[in-house]
Amino acid sequence: MPDRVLPTPRRSVAKSLLLTLPILLWSLLMFSRAMMQPGRAPKLAAAVTLVFMVALFFQMMRTLETHRWRRYFFVALGFLFPVGFIWQLFAIRGSMSIPVERMLSGDTPFCFLAIPMMILPAAIARTVIFPGSILPTASNPHAIAAMVAIWLAATLVLGKGWCSYGCFFGGIEEGFAAIPKKPRIRRIDPRWRWMPWAVLAAIVLLSAATLEPVYCMWLCPFKAVTEYPAVRSFETAVQMGIFVTMFVALVVVLPLLTKKRTQCSFLCPFGAFQSIFNKTGAFDIRIDQSKCTPCVLCEKACPTMSITPEAVRSGQPLMSCMKCGACVDACVRHAAVWHIKGTESGASSERARLMHLYSAWAFAVMFGGSIIAGTLEKLFGLVV
Amino acid sequence: MKKLRSILGNSGAVLTLALAALTPFLLFGWFQSAIGAAHLHIDPTYSGGEISHVIERPGYRIVVNRPVPRRSPLQRIGPFIQLAWTPAAALPAHLSDDLDLDGDGAPDVRVAIDTHNLVVDVAPLNARYRPMHSRGVTSFSALIARVNDTLVVRIPLD
Amino acid sequence: MPLTGLMTEALLLGVSSGPVCLASCSPVLVPVLAAEQKSPRGTGALLAQFLGGRLAGYLAFACLAWLLGLSLQLQPRGHALIYGLADLGLAIFLAGYAWTMRAQPAASCDQPCPAARVRLFAQRYKSFASVILGFVSGLTLCPPFVAAGVRAAESGGLAHSLLFFLCFFFGTSVWFAPSVGLGMLRRFAAVGVVARLTLFLLAGYYGYLAVIVLGRVFFHA
Repeated sequence: MPDRVLPTPRRSVAKSLLLTLPILLWSLLMFSRAMMQPGRAPKLAAAVTLVFMVALFFQMMRTLETHRWRRYFFVALGFLFPVGFIWQLFAIRGSMSIPVERMLSGDTPFCFLAIPMMILPAAIARTVIFPGSILPTASNPHAIAAMVAIWLAATLVLGKGWCSYGCFFGGIEEGFAAIPKKPRIRRIDPRWRWMPWAVLAAIVLLSAATLEPVYCMWLCPFKAVTEYPAVRSFETAVQMGIFVTMFVALVVVLPLLTKKRTQCSFLCPFGAFQSIFNKTGAFDIRIDQSKCTPCVLCEKACPTMSITPEAVRSGQPLMSCMKCGACVDACVRHAAVWHIKGTESGASSERARLMHLYSAWAFAVMFGGSIIAGTLEKLFGLVV
Repeated sequence: MKKLRSILGNSGAVLTLALAALTPFLLFGWFQSAIGAAHLHIDPTYSGGEISHVIERPGYRIVVNRPVPRRSPLQRIGPFIQLAWTPAAALPAHLSDDLDLDGDGAPDVRVAIDTHNLVVDVAPLNARYRPMHSRGVTSFSALIARVNDTLVVRIPLD
Repeated sequence: MPLTGLMTEALLLGVSSGPVCLASCSPVLVPVLAAEQKSPRGTGALLAQFLGGRLAGYLAFACLAWLLGLSLQLQPRGHALIYGLADLGLAIFLAGYAWTMRAQPAASCDQPCPAARVRLFAQRYKSFASVILGFVSGLTLCPPFVAAGVRAAESGGLAHSLLFFLCFFFGTSVWFAPSVGLGMLRRFAAVGVVARLTLFLLAGYYGYLAVIVLGRVFFHA
């Protein structure tokens, strides 16, 4: 146990409101179009989302904590995205399964998880191994160019912070991981952390060799809550079985047992891919050795096992760090702090946190906020 | 050196903030246009390949695509040639066409289609092609499907 | 056709087919080279073993092409049978190869205990596994491979057929040379762990493919 626990200060309401003002203005700008749409449902959805996002940011400013408030947004995104997506599928075609006709017409919405598999075939043969369309069309706004553009922008702004502010799947397991007070399974072999890299290597090599998106066809657990090839044969039945099993095991059961984001930590190849861009981001987390006891609270709090004894000794988390802020908020001695790369560790950590949060939350409002508002609009449309 | 690193670091942080603000107004559009201009194309396995020639018939057209070969030994979707009858709404309930697929002037296959029940029968007129019967989608390289206002048929080539 | 013309044609066909060969062999080759964590020279030696096995596969096919004198446009069932068996072979060897990474070389042991015997077997297995993996990879009937087979069968004489395939092989192998660079990653211990896990995943994938393909051959005849 730490011998001296430093009190966590709170910022004054006035200062917190002042710091929240830019996000309020940004949110008003982002939701202005929705506010001007006819009907009450879009206006109400936009208003609720705006208040939600601004209130969370205000709390981040007031309490000087990040993870807890970010998690409310992220869990909301994780649960509302599939609701809105499945709603739309049923509205258009009455089913979650992808008919071949949709693939042939290039109307399959593109998912960012497929990006690593696309790179080699696109670079070598200029061919995109996905049954979608390159540019958005009336029937397919979620075209490849649009999703890749969002991903590129997000990567420049967030690096692997995408996994904490952008990924509309990660919130599902983060939600389940937050439910239990204590983990049932405490010891996890740290070598499992390398599995996402192995999955990434396997799917990149196999996709280039087979010219098909192997992860989407065989491994993606989120097919269970989005869309999947129609079950017409033994092969597609096995595929569906794998998707559902992976989802239940890695997204629901294991997070409940371990309080970790197990799908992200032990499977997701996109997360491994994004880890590379942690090297290019402007912000990171540092651990001040002079203040660290070590009490391993940060290690227990980290949802992706990115803090190990070796990482603590080296002064920063592993490259799998998602910049969720859990370790910073858990550290009672304020040894784990936000940091702007190139600057001195520990100096102006609150300034680093603020700059990171303004960037991340601006993206979150723009991207995740629009998804949340879209689903709320559908739900409110039932009652107003 | 320390000071320079600090200046660069802080500049990077400010730039990140600026990029976040510019994303919906500039970055997204730029990146999307750049990707659109990169001369990428959807893999012919999914798109059906490039158009080879069009055969005119009274009331409808048949678009014949170039054959899509198997380009990798591990590719599971076999080689095929895609044909498309359009407009689908103008097609009779049953039709039969002798089609020249390779553009040499001689018919290569006879295709008989039940357009209402989406059943296709292909009888080869030369040794290069195999017979095929498909009700709906048999596989990704052997199918008949209604795609918008087009009837798409894929004939396997192995 | 004059010999030099035949060799040039084969070499050019090989160079143009190289990317396809590299893409189809990479799922096996890259993790194997990365998992060994040898120096670039050691990686080069391992690559040579793999390519040697691949050459043996090609030459075996060349003999078959000449003996049969066919264009080797196999019926789909024959095609599928070869694919299925190759996938099964790959799955077994990949899993075994990944397993041998765990087994340490036999330490000096006074009595031949079972553990030491297992370690010795693993060490011996490891040394010829890359050759066998190369051989199995070389048996895949990729379109350029079949085209080369057709050409070889038409070239007249076993010697011409073998020479054609030898030149075709060297043409494709040019594209494999840069994989020696994987040896530079040996200083990252994590690369070895990741490569071994990748081998297990790939073994599972090929194993499943083998079940599906062979299932179709035997039950959907």
